[in-house]
Amino acid sequence: MPDGSYERPQQRQFNPYSENGGTILAIAGADFSVIAGDTRQSEGYSIQTRYAPKVFRLTERAVLAVNGFAADGNMFVKKVKQRLEWYRHAHAKDMPLRAIARLIQTMLYAQRFFPYYVYNILGGIEEDGTGAVYSFDPVGSYEREACRAAGAAQSLVQPFLDNQIYFKNQTPAPGTNHPTHLPLPDVLSIVIDSFTSATERHIEVGDGLEIYVVLAKGRSTQELASIGGLQELSTRAEGDRMFVIRRDLKKD
Amino acid sequence: MFLTRSEYDRGVNTFSPEGRLFQVEYAIEAIKLGSTTVGVKTPEGVVLAVEKRVQSPLLESSSIEKIMEIDGHLGCAMSGLTADARTMIDHARVTSQNHAFTYDERIKVESVTQAVCDLALRFGESVHDEDAMMSRPFGVALLIAGIDELGPQLFHTDPSGTFVRYEAKAIGSGSEAAQTELQDKWHSQMTLREAQTLTLRVLKQVMEEKLDHHNVQLAQVTPQAGFEILDEVRLKEIVDAM
Repeated sequence: MPDGSYERPQQRQFNPYSENGGTILAIAGADFSVIAGDTRQSEGYSIQTRYAPKVFRLTERAVLAVNGFAADGNMFVKKVKQRLEWYRHAHAKDMPLRAIARLIQTMLYAQRFFPYYVYNILGGIEEDGTGAVYSFDPVGSYEREACRAAGAAQSLVQPFLDNQIYFKNQTPAPGTNHPTHLPLPDVLSIVIDSFTSATERHIEVGDGLEIYVVLAKGRSTQELASIGGLQELSTRAEGDRMFVIRRDLKKD
Repeated sequence: MFLTRSEYDRGVNTFSPEGRLFQVEYAIEAIKLGSTTVGVKTPEGVVLAVEKRVQSPLLESSSIEKIMEIDGHLGCAMSGLTADARTMIDHARVTSQNHAFTYDERIKVESVTQAVCDLALRFGESVHDEDAMMSRPFGVALLIAGIDELGPQLFHTDPSGTFVRYEAKAIGSGSEAAQTELQDKWHSQMTLREAQTLTLRVLKQVMEEKLDHHNVQLAQVTPQAGFEILDEVRLKEIVDAM
């Protein structure tokens, strides 16, 4: 209207969130943990970058995978790393895995009414030397599990893991039992297959694959010797060891 | 002595030209008036013992509280102005609970000790707009005992906010004699029972009254039971066996 008023009620909106695709996955073994994620970052039908890491090394024995809204994810990882450094200064030790898990819960829940739009999966080695995976929802509910997939292709990958890791819908041969933990080479094959399949069937998954492997102290690295694209991240040969495997995924 | 000090022992945050903080030094003197408190570390756990000065036959000795729990794995014994210790122990308890809440683990003994010492230094004239703080140094020393992943530990804190780890330590009025006795009798492979007896023997030597299960208090931190103050029945048994 000429006087500057409006004829009808007006509405405006700002959406602070977006969804950047990609998938993450982690599997715990008896004395190792594998944490993986693809490296594509997209918004709608456009690829923003073919290399945006979603998996981060936190300590010598902890790895965090973050999926969802990339800006929130990157900020969250930054803040977790800052808290880990403060803890190291205050208590003269690296934060144990289960303490990191609880810290992530309190940090996520602190944003209960304006959440970080991210799904977190934390993997690594516990104080007792066992492999562990913790999964979180955006507001901090968490649980320790043997395996978990999250992100765009969760609905494709998780049923596959349920079948291959938890042996759901499989009956053991008479007189035998399903193993509770799989050996490392089997786990790596399952991870790689999960991502190649998700890349085939989901448009937001692809470009590159980063697989972090954390081995408990004293464990043999023999099974990793034949793996291509392997790089060691740990600085000390004694203690827990950490490796990353970088692979290409289809870029279409 | 007082002529030279008169200018500099007023403000709690004023250094004397010789580089001393008199109010902090006076606070340390206040501890030497307190009742004797002893702590002994062994591989099996830590023992704390205090003398309870029962000034009157009408005083109910069970109401004197000089050993307090900080958390399930942490205990604390005090000497000096025990009322000040309440503020410090409250701070230690909150710190410990917050740590358990945030990290799902028991706080380290050194970390709570550090937290208490941070508080000990927070005194002085509070600036406008700042929440009220302690106007003077705390007049109490603490023996903080506990067990964490590094094993049993015993820490001593004083009003200057300094903390040191000890194998065995005595504070309070009889501390000089008690410390000498600890130096003679302590050895690294003590059993918990030996430590209980040692702390009581040391207290007995420096106490004016005859030691019994009413005028001492004994507490321990063990991996099995955590922190516990021994009740009069268990205490009497140890006193009798001494």
